[in-house]
Amino acid sequence: MRLAIPTLFAIFALLLGSQAPAQQPTVAKTHLKVGDVAPDFTLKDQNWKPVKLSDYRDKKNVILAFYVLAFTGG
Amino acid sequence: MSETEVLGISVDSPAANAEFAKQIGVSFPLLSDMTRKVSKEYGILNEEMQFANRTTFVVDKQGVIQFIEDGKSAVDPTSAITICTGLKKKEAR
Repeated sequence: MRLAIPTLFAIFALLLGSQAPAQQPTVAKTHLKVGDVAPDFTLKDQNWKPVKLSDYRDKKNVILAFYVLAFTGG
Repeated sequence: MSETEVLGISVDSPAANAEFAKQIGVSFPLLSDMTRKVSKEYGILNEEMQFANRTTFVVDKQGVIQFIEDGKSAVDPTSAITICTGLKKKEAR
C-alpha cells in the first residue's frame, strides 16, 4: 500500500497544528470584573511600612499596578 | 493627582523594591507580595513562573473595581489615569 506523500504531509501538519495551542505560554487572566469589590490586602512597601487597600476607602481612588519583577522593566 | 494613589505590586522583597524605587525614582509605594497571596487572590499569579502577570486595576473610593487592563498595554498608565479623571468628574457632578 502506498499512501501519497501529500496525504502523509497533511496528516503530519494536522497533528502539529493541533498541538500548537498547548505550547503557548499560559497567561493568568484575572477572574475579577469591573464592578467587583477589590479584595482587601495589607502588604509592606519598600520602607517595610504596611499599606492596607481599605485605608484608601472614601479618601482616594487607587491604581493597582501589578508588575512582573523589579529590575526587569516588566 | 492627589485624588489618586498608585500602588505598585510585585512578588519582590521590600529590599529589592527599595532598590528598584531608587533606581527608577518613584515616590509611590511599591508593595511586596512575597507570599503571592494577593496576586493569587486577584487571579493573576503565573503558577508556572510564580510571579504576577502585568495587570492594572483601578479601584474607586468605594473599593469597587472600575477598570482592568492586562498584558502589554497595562505598562502605559495613560488609560488608567483617564479613568481616574472620569471618576473625579463623576464625583463633582
